[in-house]
This record gives sequence, structure tokens and C-alpha cells, in this order.
Amino acid sequence: MSKPHDQNERRRFLKTSAIAAGGSLLGGLVGGHAAAQQPPMQGMGPGMDSMPGMKHGGELPKPIGEPQAGPPTDVSDVYDGYSRFKPGRGNSPDSDYYLGKLMPGFRSPDAAPAPFVAPDLEKLPWKMVRGAKEFHLRPMAVEREFLPGYKMNVYGYNGSMPGPTIEVTQGDRVRIIVTNELPEATSTHWHGLDLPVQWDGASELTQNLIEPGQSFAYEFDVHEEGTFFYHSHIPMQEANGSVGFFIIHPKKPFDPPVDRDFGLIFQNFFIEPSQTIADSWRMDWNWHTINGRSGPFTTPLVCKHGERVRVRIMNFAPMQHHPIHLHGHTFWITGHEGARVPKSAWVPRNTSLIGIAQATDFEFIANNPGDWMLHCHMVHHMMNHMTRQVGPRVRDTTVDRYLANLDVHPSGDLTKEDPGFRTPGYPQKMQGMKMSDEFMQTIWNRREVQGMRAMWPMSVMGLMTTLRVLPDDLYRIVMESDEPVEKGAVFAEIVRRFGTPARYEAAPKMKGRM
Amino acid sequence: MTKLIAAALLLAAPAFAAAQQLLRLPPAALMPKGGGHEYTRPPAIPAPLNDIAGLDYPEPSIATSAYALDSLLSLAASNNPTLVQARLHISGELAKALQAGLYPNPMLSYEADQIFVKNDRVANTPGEFQGAIAQQRIVTAGKLRLSREKYQRRAHVAEHLAVTQQFRVCNDIRIHFYQALAAQATLAIRRELQKTAEDSALTSQESYNMGQARRPEVRRTNVALQRTRLDVLSAENAYQEHFRRLAALVGAPLPGGAVVGELMPECPVLTYEEALQRLIAESPELAAARAKLSVDQATVSRELVQWVPDLVVKGGAGYNFESQEAVAAAGLQIEVPLYDRNQGTVQQARSDYARQRREIDRVELELRDRLATTYQQYVTSLQHAFEYERLILPELKAAYAELLQSYKENRVDWPEVLMAQHDYFDARLTQVDNLMHARTQEVLIYGFLLHDGLRAAQGIAPPGHIDAVPKPR
Ligand SMILES: [Cu+2]
Repeated sequence: MSKPHDQNERRRFLKTSAIAAGGSLLGGLVGGHAAAQQPPMQGMGPGMDSMPGMKHGGELPKPIGEPQAGPPTDVSDVYDGYSRFKPGRGNSPDSDYYLGKLMPGFRSPDAAPAPFVAPDLEKLPWKMVRGAKEFHLRPMAVEREFLPGYKMNVYGYNGSMPGPTIEVTQGDRVRIIVTNELPEATSTHWHGLDLPVQWDGASELTQNLIEPGQSFAYEFDVHEEGTFFYHSHIPMQEANGSVGFFIIHPKKPFDPPVDRDFGLIFQNFFIEPSQTIADSWRMDWNWHTINGRSGPFTTPLVCKHGERVRVRIMNFAPMQHHPIHLHGHTFWITGHEGARVPKSAWVPRNTSLIGIAQATDFEFIANNPGDWMLHCHMVHHMMNHMTRQVGPRVRDTTVDRYLANLDVHPSGDLTKEDPGFRTPGYPQKMQGMKMSDEFMQTIWNRREVQGMRAMWPMSVMGLMTTLRVLPDDLYRIVMESDEPVEKGAVFAEIVRRFGTPARYEAAPKMKGRM
Repeated sequence: MTKLIAAALLLAAPAFAAAQQLLRLPPAALMPKGGGHEYTRPPAIPAPLNDIAGLDYPEPSIATSAYALDSLLSLAASNNPTLVQARLHISGELAKALQAGLYPNPMLSYEADQIFVKNDRVANTPGEFQGAIAQQRIVTAGKLRLSREKYQRRAHVAEHLAVTQQFRVCNDIRIHFYQALAAQATLAIRRELQKTAEDSALTSQESYNMGQARRPEVRRTNVALQRTRLDVLSAENAYQEHFRRLAALVGAPLPGGAVVGELMPECPVLTYEEALQRLIAESPELAAARAKLSVDQATVSRELVQWVPDLVVKGGAGYNFESQEAVAAAGLQIEVPLYDRNQGTVQQARSDYARQRREIDRVELELRDRLATTYQQYVTSLQHAFEYERLILPELKAAYAELLQSYKENRVDWPEVLMAQHDYFDARLTQVDNLMHARTQEVLIYGFLLHDGLRAAQGIAPPGHIDAVPKPR
């Protein structure tokens, strides 16, 4: 029913066919081309340490993948000076292909739209009943693992927060039977849909509340297209997580077709230390989630080099707008939650401010390989449960010293003069943060993060995720194989192929420290 | 009306000024320039306290001895003077018993009667009789036996009083031992709290450097630190006091040192009825009062026979100068109890006996009265001590641990952790106090409410005793 499942199927198929072909296709990808990579490697010899800017001897990991396979040849690479494989603007701002505006992806215009993928979220299944797509939605209290080991208690739907995605096509008739599994009354609002007023779900104004255990059937025709969402119409239930995507594909597919269609719901919560229950009454927010997960547990958006990518971002924070910034690419804003924007009004941006209850769709050509940050630019949203730094964290000591014996206060050195403290404002960089081994294992256990730099979880926190643009062979290793990939190997390979290998610096080996 | 008010103000103003002059004003404040215009260093963490802080430091070289309760008790047994006093009281009564039972000595006299009587030959003879007489009082009605018995019974009372004194001394040593132990624990916790305050001062400096605190806050933390340091000194002084008082009770000089023992009460917890029954049945004070009744009984018996006349017999040999021959003399003396049949003293002794009956009641009621207060304190302190041990301390400790853990996970600010730690340490101080009280009351409940081990040992000297004769009876 969901895309991750389909991807697994696809991966299994690829692996099986490689074995059937009698050779280890993937094994070949991983190890077979070391010789071809020798020339750049020679530059990394003993002389490397003396190179300017080279502080420590980081060696490039062994080459992986199949670089000479190159990009697909059956599609056009350059349109009016704009290349799908190299960063650039193209020849003219007035061109249809400026910044890749109308450059099609690899997907055939005749094919069905690219599957919508909201990482870490399921899709709500439906059945055709009496001429309508019938969905069953169950508002309920939900436990959601924001970070490995941090299981938070929020509200959601069908066991998920945010709720599962409702996906339909323009023109469908839908029947959504909402069965309230909360201990309190609720109603469901179909945000942005112009439907007959009695199905709007605005509590009391248009319907009686759905009491606990009761059901209510919403039934209407969908004439919109675009990025919508449903949510509880009880404000504090909204603040506690009751939301989900309502994606409506156009009857007539949009042009140009995209290869990837990602959806991300941004939310904020306040959860006290040592608490798991979100306090929806708070005016400040210390936990930030994308599709119910916080960085670095957010699942990267992985695509192939040269693909046309759509990202739909929906801000369901209770109190805060998010300036969303993508590194390494300039994107076109192609739609909001209302509808797709006419091409003449598309705007190129690196950052887009997305207000509360707003959704923004943007598209771009993934022409710059690498691991790119996609994040809210509000400083306090780039970390979770932010606290002041004072205390052992900024001294030459650890909290473990205090934990070791709760009945004794370890002596502090009152005479010690940390040279840093001669700088007013020191320290600003978050210090002494640690992540447990299990935490790191869960972070690294996902295929989507294989081959990223060893230290990457240090930087992706709060409302942050990454966009990974991978050459086809590396994409297949990461997403379609079970091959172990050395930490940093994919990054190094991209440096080798597209960057400056002579200036490569390996990440220090990360031992539970963050 | 206005005039009146003005007059009142005029009168009041000088008085007000005079009152102000009586106020001793603290030293002038350092007036810093207004902050917030350019970088200004925070007030530094204050140095430790001045010279007076070292005034009463025990010499570290000898502060190595450790004293357990048992060793202190046995030291006191041989050194506390009141215990010797108590023993001497018993000896004194036994000596009286000995004295009271001694038989009266015979009297020897020389008698010359009727000097210058005439006879046939001489107009004036040296006398009709000249000779030596021996006289012996024969004690009747068992007076000596009764007197001796009475003083033996008094010695028995003195024995009970000696036991009482022993409890006074031992209980007092126990109480002061536990108080010293508590003072020692308090000092240790105060030292921990000082480290917490030092951490707060350090945190305050760090906060200042991050723009998260202003100079007044830093000053306040510095002052809090200095007050905590003073608290440590107070605790040190208190420990010295308790240790020195303990040494005084023991009656021997104790080189400075530590006490080792357990503050947690160890005896089975008694209900009020149990405590009362135990007290009534076994209190040495009450036993002494009961024994004293038997003394008064003996006194009555003794006084009842006092009127029975002793016989005084005498006899001797001499020479009758009249008849010019050796003669013998004999006599018998007996008091005729015509008017004085010792009625008054008997009445007095009977009154004393009756009075002593009421004395037993009084002692018992007084014990009940003291027990009511002591038991209240006993049960209150036990309730506190057990509940602190069972729930309050573990909860506060858990709160502190959880905040530490949260700090480790970057979820709380350090000052909040310090506050939780302070709360936990502060409750530990209270618990030391609870335990000290519980132990003190336990000692009193189990030790028959006796304390005050340097009070002079009590002898059996109740009012109305009949000692005012050369020979005790
Ligand atoms: Cu934000």
C-alpha cells in the first residue's frame, strides 16, 4: 500500500536479477574499479599533509560505484544552456529553461505521476464503496518516536503522528468515515477544500462534535488539485499533532513531470525535560519534527543526479513560521496549498517563508550531487530541547561525575580561568552533547543515510533534514542494495568525481559524541 | 487642628532622628558605575572567610581518634564523679545501719556517798560508801535491730538512686554522643552545600559571560556562597561544642576526634502503653520511692517501740567507811513512760509513711507527665525520620538524578539541577535533625526519661527524716 514497501520490492527485484545475471553486479560496483580511480588517488600520497588547508591526513575511502557508467544517455542533458548535471542558471532568465524551470525529469510524460513520498509516514488505504473512495480515519492518542529512544505522547490518526496521507485524484468522490478513538470529542476539517458546508468539519459551526467512540462520515467531490491537509478542528488537538496530508493529484498531469514527489510536515511541540507528553498550552516550543521525527532521525530525501524533484512542505507549527532553506540548489516555487501556481508566476528561491497552516510546493533539477541540508533557518529551530550551556558542559568536567555519587557534590575549581571566558559571550557553540550508541545505531541503520560523513548527525538537528543527490550507481548502492557502505564513502566518491579530492578531509571517527 | 499636627511633628522629629542615630549602619556600598554601557567584569567569586574562621579549628594532627559509644560509656563508668557519689551514698547509709545497731557501751563510775557521816570512832568518815560502779543500759523491744533494719532499707533506697544516677549518666552520654554524631553529619552535609554554592557562583560567572545574568545576580550568588561558608563554620563550632560536652560528661579529657556510630534508631518502636508499662514497672526512680516507703514503714515500727523503757542496771563494789567493811552496790533504773510515750514522733513517722505513699503516686504521675511530652517527641521524630528515609529523601534524590540526566541530555539548565541538589542536601540536613531527635527520644524512652549526667548524685534525703540525734535510729 505504501511506497517504502514498493521500494523494497524494487530492491529485491534488482538484487535477484543481479544474481540471476551470474555476476555480482553490486559487488562489481563496490570493488571493481579501484584501478580506474588510481590517478586522483596518487595525489593523495605522502605529500598530502603539506598541502595548504590540510590539517590532518584524511584519506579517501576506497572508490565505490561505477563512475564510468555515466548519466543516462536517452535524455537530453542541456536545455538552453542549463544542464541537469551541473549547477548553473542557463542562458537567459526569460528562457523556459532558466534554472531548470521547465526542464522535464527522466520520467515519461505519459507515465502516471511520480509516487508521492512522505518519508516516515504511511498512506491511508481506501476501497471503492458505492461510487466513492472510502477512507477510515481514526483520531487517537499516539506514541511517536521523535528521536531514537524518545517516544513522545501526542495525538494523531490511525497510530501515526502526523496521520497517514490521504491521496486522491482531482474529480474523485471521497467518503471519509472518522471514528473518534480519543477520550474527548473532535471533528475533522479538510483544510483548503471548497466543499459543501456541512462537511467542512468546523466544530459546532457546521456539525456536532464527534463524541468518543462515535463515527461521522464526510462525503464530497474533490475538484481541487494540490497539497492539502486534514486536521482536528479543536485547537489544542491541532497543537498536539492532529494533522495529516491530503494530496490531490491533478486530473491532467502537471507539466513538466517530476521524478520525485516528496512531502514534509513541519511541527513544533513543547515537551518538558524527562517528559513525553506534549504540553500544547505552551507558548514556546522545544521539539521540532518533520513528519513526526526530529533531526538527525528525519529521513533524508534521496534522489538521483539530474532528476526533477518536487518537495511539498507544510507548516503545521502552532505558533511559528518557518523560513525553509535548501542548500546547493535554487528551486522554483510552483504551488501553495491553494493550487498550483501558473508558470508565469513561479519564483526562484533558496529560502521560502512558510507560515502556519501554509504549504509550499517547489521544484528543481537535482543537478548538484552531494548531501544537502534542507532546514528551517530559525536558529532555535535547528536544535531540539534547547537549554542554556552553563554548568559542567562548559567546564572541564562531565555530568557523569555528578551522577556517579548523588550524595556528594564534586568540587569545582573556583580559581580556574578558562581562557575562553576572556571572550564575552563564550561559549556559543553547543558543547558536550552526547548521543548513545543505540541512538547512533538507529540513526545509521537506515539505508537512506549510508555513506554520509561520519559526523553528519552532529549538524542535522531539530527542523532539519537532508537532500541527497546521488549519481545513479551510488543511488542504487544506497537505496537498492543491502551492501554495507563505509561511513563517508558516498560523500568521498562524490568529492572524487565532482569536487576537489586533493582537499578531501575525512571526518574524525565519531564515538557516540555529538 | 493643623497646629496640633505640626506640634506633634515637631515633637516627633528629634525623637525620630535620635532613633536613627541609634541604628548602626553597615559599611558604605561600593558604588559601581551604571552597567550596560561597555563590558564590565562580573564581581569575582569571593575568597574564603577571614582569620576568625581559623580560630577554633581543631589541630589536625590529633583529630584522628574515633570514639564509639561503648568506649565512651566505659570511660564514663570509671570517670564520671557522680557515679562515685552515688556509690558513696550507699556506703553512707550502710555505715548508719552499722552505727544504729551498735549496743550501748557500759558506764563505769566511782561513787562516794554520804561523806562526813559519823561513826563510833571518827566524827567525819570519808563516807558511808566509796566504790566503783558499773552501769549497763539494757536495750529493750529490739530497738537496735529495728534501727539497723531501717538504715539497711535506706541503703537499699540509695542503691536504687545509684541505678538512677547510672541511667542519668549513660543516657546523657548517649544523647550527647548522638548529638555529636548528628553535628558531624550536619557538618559533612554543610560542606557539600558549600560546594553547591561554589558551583552556583561559578555558574553565575558563566551566565554573566553569556549575557544571561547581570551583576546584581552575580553579587547575590557570591553572598549566598559566603553565607554557606559561614554555615560550615557554625556547623564546625557546633560539633566542637557537642564533642566538648561529651568529654565533660565522660569526666576524662578526650583528644579531638570523630565519633563513629549509627544515627538511625535501632530499638523496637514502642506504643505509648508499652512505654508507660515499662516505665511504671522498671523506673529506678519509682523503685527508689517504693523502697523509701519500706524505710518509712520501718521508721514507724522503730518509733513505736521507742517508748518501751530500757533497763539500766548497775552494780559495784566499795568500802563502807561507816561500818568499815567492804560492801556491794546495785541499782536498777527504768524510765516511767508517764508523759512521753513518743506519741509525737510516732505520729510524725506515720505521717511520713503516709506522705511517702503519696510520694509514690506523685513520682508515677510525674513520670507520666514527662512521658507524655517525651513520647510525643519520640513518635513525631520517628514518623519524620522513617518517612524521610522511606519516601522524601529517595524522591528528592530521584528528582535530582532525573534533572542531572536531563542536563546530560541537554534538556534542562544547570541552575535547575543545582536547585534540585540543594533541595536534596537540605532535606538530608533535616533528616539528620529528625534522626538526632528520634535517637534522643529513644534513649529517654528506653532509659526511663533520665538524663542530666552531671547533676550531683541524689542521696536519700527526703523531708521529715529523723536523723537529728547523735545516735541514728
Ligand atoms: Cu522554524
